[in-house]
Amino acid sequence: MFGLLESGFQHFYWGNALMLVIGGVFIYLAIAKKMEPLLLIPIGFSILLVNLPLGGMMDYQLKVRAPEAGNVLEVQMNEGDRFKEGDIICQLDSGEVLTPVFGRIDEIKVSPGQRVEAGDAIASIITMQQTDQSKVPTEPIGLLSRIFKFGIMWQVLPPLMFLCLGALTDFGPMLANPKTLLLGAAAQFGVYFAFFMALLFGFTLPEACSIGIIGGAEGPTTIYVTSILAPQIIGATAVACYSYMALVPIILPPVIKLLTTKKERAIYMKPQLREVLKLEKILFPLITTIVVILIVPFSAPLMGCFMVGNLFRECGVTDRLSNTAQTAFVDMLTIFLTLSIGATMPAENFLQSKTLLILVLGVVAFATAAAAGVVLAKIMNLFSKEKINPMIGAAGVSAVPMSARVVQVMGQKENPRNFLLMHAMGPNVAGAIGAAIAGGVFLGIVK
Amino acid sequence: MVDWNLAAKIAGGGFGMVFLILAILALLVWLTHLGVNRFAKGSSDSEEKERH
Repeated sequence: MFGLLESGFQHFYWGNALMLVIGGVFIYLAIAKKMEPLLLIPIGFSILLVNLPLGGMMDYQLKVRAPEAGNVLEVQMNEGDRFKEGDIICQLDSGEVLTPVFGRIDEIKVSPGQRVEAGDAIASIITMQQTDQSKVPTEPIGLLSRIFKFGIMWQVLPPLMFLCLGALTDFGPMLANPKTLLLGAAAQFGVYFAFFMALLFGFTLPEACSIGIIGGAEGPTTIYVTSILAPQIIGATAVACYSYMALVPIILPPVIKLLTTKKERAIYMKPQLREVLKLEKILFPLITTIVVILIVPFSAPLMGCFMVGNLFRECGVTDRLSNTAQTAFVDMLTIFLTLSIGATMPAENFLQSKTLLILVLGVVAFATAAAAGVVLAKIMNLFSKEKINPMIGAAGVSAVPMSARVVQVMGQKENPRNFLLMHAMGPNVAGAIGAAIAGGVFLGIVK
Repeated sequence: MVDWNLAAKIAGGGFGMVFLILAILALLVWLTHLGVNRFAKGSSDSEEKERH
């Protein structure tokens, strides 16, 4: 404006426009269709924020340094220029200096004819790309990039979110029927199937682990594992996980119908589960913490927080902590986590064929997880006198409590006498434990 | 180039490990239930005896 103020229009391109539409769809689904509004509203709005150029909310600063000593022959970019990963910033007589990320030039620090030594700064650039900090260290300078770096990349928010989930989770239905733990375990097959598929499609091992863990249907686990193993794809995996959790009512029913007969879906289960004593509920988080962390130490941040949150809930003497974790604290974490996730979706980051592939593999992960749960439930029926409705196996896809609700609705349709919700909550919460363990196993092997 | 041997070990070993741990937990939950029930029954029996 009058040469004084640079507007965002000159940097706005079709990719930003498409992302604004995607953000708008998220907000529409949340408000008009009531689909996971607590997640989709902040994610959708954050997508808008990072696709309005020069807003700077998700900016990182990075100094590009000379790989070798030499004389500057030509500088090929000016301040404010936008570039893609691998573009040439300047030509030295010893070689070219390339951009390691996409972004725009903040400041050029050399001029033609100048002598530079190896490691001297050539340019300061601004980027919104998530990088492997050991190779391309960046400094966050925007509000959301700071929250993202210190909340997610430092692995603070996902475990704390698990603490809140622990405080919100009633393990009673699972403790009343411990067999359901096996259904939650079976559903983790989806994680490993998607992992294999990702490798087949050419993803690296750490990326494949991060894509596989989407099948655990636990947002914090997916974010935690991806932030450590493959931060460059964290936007796509997190969005896939949270979007599919909202789409569980669409993904699960066809899988269940494909693998079960009408008669199986109508199997009646007594609505009453046995009463679980308070002492059992107190002992469970303690025993689980010790057993799981001894076997899979890398699951400690997630499992430890999950179980301490649950102990707050069940012990009866920390009601204040439990109430805070279930209300204000979980809401605050949700705001930080979801705004950060949406902020990983600037057009340059998100509009890649890789992202589309990750979204497809995410559906595959969810569907195979549900299928494995149903199949194991059917196998268990072959050996047990008291039949279980195989649909509750599909609730092993964590997505608490959405998948259990889907099973309840389908069960009622097939047999109006059936109340499967509490039965389905068993594999549902077992799936959350299974996903955290699967994440820990990936980290233990691949990190 | 993908090391398919390693990938198979991660997938097979990983899934096996998750299944094993949850199976162990299921067993421990069942044993805890038995133990806690016996303890609860024992203490309620002794309370009744004291009343009589």
